[in-house]
Order: sequence, then structure tokens, then C-alpha cells
Amino acid sequence: MSRAAGGSAGAVLGMKGDPEASMSSFIISVTAADRVGIVYSVTGALLDLGGNVLELSQTVMRGYFTIILEAAFDSPPSHAQIVEALRERGKRFDLHVQVTEVKDGREQELVPSGEKFILTVLGDDSPGIVHNIAGSLAAHGANIVDLHARVEGRRFSLVMEAMIPHDLTPAAIRSELERYGKAHKLEAFVQHEDIFAATTEPGPVRIGASARVQGQGDSLASN
Amino acid sequence: MHRTEDVLATLSMIRQYKLDVRTVTMGIDLAPCSSPDAEILCDRIRARLVHYAGRLRAVCREVEGRYGIPIVNRRIALSPIGRVAAGHKTEGLLAVARTLDAVAAEVGVDLVGGFTALVQKGWTESERRLIAALPEVLSTTRRVCASVNVGTTAAGINMDAVAALGGVLKETAERTRDHDGFGCAKLVVFGNATNDNPFMAGAFHGQGEPDCVINIGVSGPGVVKAAVEDLVAHAPSRPTLGDIAEEIKSTAFRVTRVGELIGREVAARLGVAFGIVDLSLAPTPQVGDSVGEILQAMGVSRLGGPGSTAALALLNDAVKKGGSYASSSVGGLSGAFVAVSEDSALARAVEAGDLTLAKLEAMTAVCSVGLDMIAVPGDTDAETLSALIADEVAIGVINHKTTAVRVIPVPGKKAGERAVFGGLFGEMEILPIHAAGGSADFVRHGGRIPAPLSSLRN
Repeated sequence: MSRAAGGSAGAVLGMKGDPEASMSSFIISVTAADRVGIVYSVTGALLDLGGNVLELSQTVMRGYFTIILEAAFDSPPSHAQIVEALRERGKRFDLHVQVTEVKDGREQELVPSGEKFILTVLGDDSPGIVHNIAGSLAAHGANIVDLHARVEGRRFSLVMEAMIPHDLTPAAIRSELERYGKAHKLEAFVQHEDIFAATTEPGPVRIGASARVQGQGDSLASN
Repeated sequence: MHRTEDVLATLSMIRQYKLDVRTVTMGIDLAPCSSPDAEILCDRIRARLVHYAGRLRAVCREVEGRYGIPIVNRRIALSPIGRVAAGHKTEGLLAVARTLDAVAAEVGVDLVGGFTALVQKGWTESERRLIAALPEVLSTTRRVCASVNVGTTAAGINMDAVAALGGVLKETAERTRDHDGFGCAKLVVFGNATNDNPFMAGAFHGQGEPDCVINIGVSGPGVVKAAVEDLVAHAPSRPTLGDIAEEIKSTAFRVTRVGELIGREVAARLGVAFGIVDLSLAPTPQVGDSVGEILQAMGVSRLGGPGSTAALALLNDAVKKGGSYASSSVGGLSGAFVAVSEDSALARAVEAGDLTLAKLEAMTAVCSVGLDMIAVPGDTDAETLSALIADEVAIGVINHKTTAVRVIPVPGKKAGERAVFGGLFGEMEILPIHAAGGSADFVRHGGRIPAPLSSLRN
């Protein structure tokens, strides 16, 4: 694993939390064939540029390393400087780097809010499954926030977290996915995230905010 | 992001192994309804039930849709009518039963429990009348369920009530003769009854409970069976019974958590208190939804043979441990039911001659409930039925646990013939009662079997 060398990225850069208002930040993604030391190299380059990592996610998929992170800078370098620094520091890894500046308006919601549901699709593999599922969700305004899919032999499995808008019932998404699944010999399921939190996390059971509010506003307890 | 393995494990519990919420049971205190006038009493009961349970069906559907977890039954448990209708004559008690039946249909619940008398130490005139009215109530109403608590560890066993109940079972069976005595399936005789049990037919809203409460009954024999089978099939070496207990425990944790989630959400949406989750492995006649099959997965291939009691003890204890860790709100009965006609594997074991009434009685010493959904010959005399009740209640009273009897003397049928109750109540071959007919003098003594000593426990 790439994290093995040099301790954690947070320790290297000191993940301080939210940046000052005057700071500029960049979303940076790096891909390469997996080797030991890539995280150390990437975070070292950013540290040298005066950057502070605000959030970071890394995975290795089928031998390929991918990291996406947000880094903030007091004196922002240019795109080219960041790309160059990362490539130079990690040249033995042949890094593929992409840099996107975070715009001022990032606090504005670009996607609708909603409740988080887990969508699961299982069955025989065929081209276009992810594309079609994503298309159904997009047509309903449901936003994919996390997704993992893989094929083992002929067996396809997909687990995703999606924000389903408040004005859309899970039953609507469920029936559409089930219809798609039936036509393609796939099983498709839509379950509220709370189910998985309840069954896998030892903390207290939590229920949706909408239920709490509704319950308080429509109480029978005083009667 | 949740781990894919965790998501798939939870999903398979729901989709493949039939995890559901067996019942959302709303407990309602009826004490404020009391009135010496039967009409006023019935009007108040109706208004209170509609007030609290009017939205129960709709809210359960909302929550079902939100989580994708089936809620199989919605039910209501009431304060014991023996107290609520204190002072009423038989006609008043029957009017209450008819009211409950009608309102249950109106608010969309399949069963309403609480036509109940708690008579472990003695009985009031009204409670005596209520017990006498049970054959009429159980044969003329569809949704009303009854229970009588005849013993507790603190009070001993009221043998006068036990003696009366043998006759009640006979008469109830006779009045529902064309349905193999099905009326008796809606009557549970308890020792150490619990105040918050959500499962029917024995649910009632006991003392110390709030005005209204949501209790949840979750089940999942299929989930536990699948977990045990998977462990046995895929463990690198033969798993020990300790390993199996751990597997059952962690499965029970997940099942209980689903129940608590649903219960809290239903309660919050209705604006009433959430009470407890009762994790009881309650079988249904469907193959794969059987407590007997769990024991078979553990390696007891002939249910009722040696090893059955030990396996059941392990199962029952592991279920309770997993449930207790999952939630601080575990209550009711919480264990494994051995409801024979409702459990296809147990019913088959009866047909094979492996599972006898005596072995079932032994098994109930280590699991939930007791002699449950057992068809016996229709010509069994009332005193023998009473003595059967006394035996089972004594197991609970002496061992500080709940036991119950739900036996059905099937009119006109003998041991080995088939009794068919239908739906979730299932069917089974009628079990013979060994050495029946010799207990009448014991039962006729009446009085009370004293409360047991609570020290010197060996």
C-alpha cells in the first residue's frame, strides 16, 4: 500500500480543518500503477508548495492507485506549478495528475439535497449497467455520492449511496430500478441508509429527521 | 460508505432469508374508559382506539415504503379487560368483545389482544365471568385474542382458574368445530405473563405501561438458519457449538436493530412512546422460516431426539444475548418459539413420530413460551387439559420464566389425524397425550399451588 512509507498524510501536512476565507483551494486527483510511497510523495509535494490537506480519499482498484484530495494554500500556486511539483516529486511513479480550482461559489448547492439511500444491483454482467442505472437516477434528480461496482467472473455487483430528493418516494426509484433489473436479469434493491447503519454500527439506533419532526408536531401523547 | 460486504449481508437477510417485522403492536391503556354503563364503556373504548390507532395502518405503510422492510402484521394490545370492565355482567363483557372486533377491523389491525384476566392469586367476579365467556367470545369474534395468567413465581398457581380453563378449551373447540377447534388458537394460558409482549394471541398492555406505546415483534428464523448453515458449510474446520452461538448472537444483533429502527420510526411518526423490541424466533409454516430447521442446521437431524433440548437452549440464550447487546429496549418474550403447527419442520417431526408432547414440554423449559399451537385429540377430557396447563405453568413458575399453553383439542378427530388451521397458524398431525385421563382428582382439589421457594435453588 502506498500509505506504508512516511506515516499518514494527515501527520505530514497537519489536517487543520476549514481553511481561512482568504485561502484558495484545489481539488487534486492523482492516478498511477500502485507502488509503495505514492501518498508520501504527493503530500510531500503539496507541503513544499505550502499546501494543507483538507480532505483526502484514496483507493487501489485492480492494481491502480487513485487519490483525490482538497488542498488549501495561503499563496496559491498556479495549476501548472502544482502539476509540475507533483510529477517531479513522484516521477518514479509516472503520476497522472488533474487539478481543479475550487470556485468561490462552492458553498452553493449544485445538487438537490435529500435522504441517503443505498442502491444495490446484482446479477449477470453486461455492458451499460452503470450507465443505465445512473441515467435513471439522474432523470429523477437523485445524486450519486458514492459508488462501488465490480465484476467477478460473470457476476456483477454494484453498491451505491445516492441522495434521493425529499419530493421523490423511494418506491418510485425502487420500481424503476426493479423494472430495469427484470429486463436485464439483474436484482435491484433500494434501502434507506439507516437500515445499514443500524445493522452494522454498534451505536444507538438513529431514525430520520423527518420522522422526529413529524412526531413532535403531531403528538398523540398528550391525549 | 458502508462496506459492500456489510450491505450485501444485510440485504440478503431481508431478501433471501425473510427478515421482516412480524408485528407492530400498539399497546393502549384503557383504564380511562371504565364505566358501569356498558354502552358508555364501549363508546369510550371505541373512541380511544380510533384516536390512537387510527393512523397506525397508514404510518406502518409509510415506514415500510421508506425502509423496504415488510411489516407483516399490525396489532393492538389492550389493558386487561378483566379490570377495565370490572363489575360488568356477561352481556357487558360480550359487548366489549364485539366492540373490539369491530374497531380492530375499522383501524385495519388483524388481531386485538387484551381480552385478558390476570388471576394468578385469585379472581374477581368479573374475571370469573370473563373466563366463562371466552367460548362465546372466541367463537363469535374474528380478531379478538384472549389470555389468562394463572400463575406467577411470586403468587403460585391458581388451580381454580386452571380447572375452569380445561372446560373453556373444550367448549371453545366445540363451538369452532368446523374449523378444527380454531377458537382455541386465540387463547393463551400463561404463567409469568409479560406486560409488553407484542406477539399474539397473548399480547396485552400491562401495568406500568404508558397511555400508548409501540412494541415491535421481530422474527427471522430463516436469517438465523442461513447464518448457521453458512458457518457450518464454509468454516475452515468444523465450528464448535461456541462458534455457532457467536454466529447466532451476531445475527440476533442485526435482526433486533432492524426492529428497533422500525419501532422508533413508527412511534415517532405517531407521536407516542416507543416501548420494546421482542426478538422472538417466531416460525411460519413456510419452508425456511422454521425454528426446527435451525436445530437441524446445528446438527440435530431428528427433532425431538436427544440433543434437541440442548440445541434449543443454546439457540434461545444466544438470541437473548445478541438482542440485549443490540438494544436497551428488549422485552416481551425474546427467545425461540416452538409453535408446532406453525413450524413446518416441527410439524414434520410430529408426523415422523420423533417429536412427542413430553419432549416438547422438556424443550419449553429452556425456550420462550411453552406448549404452543399443539393439536390434541378432541376426546381429551377437560381435566386432562387443565393438568397439562398446570404442568407447563409449573415449569415457568418454578424457573422464573414465562411459559404458556395454547393447545387445541380438535373435535371429532383422534391422534394421527390432521388438524388444519390455515394461514400462519399452519397444520399438523394431532399429537396423542400419554397417560391421559388420570389427573381429574388432582385438578379438582382446586385452590392454589403455593409460590415456590426462591432460595436453596438447585
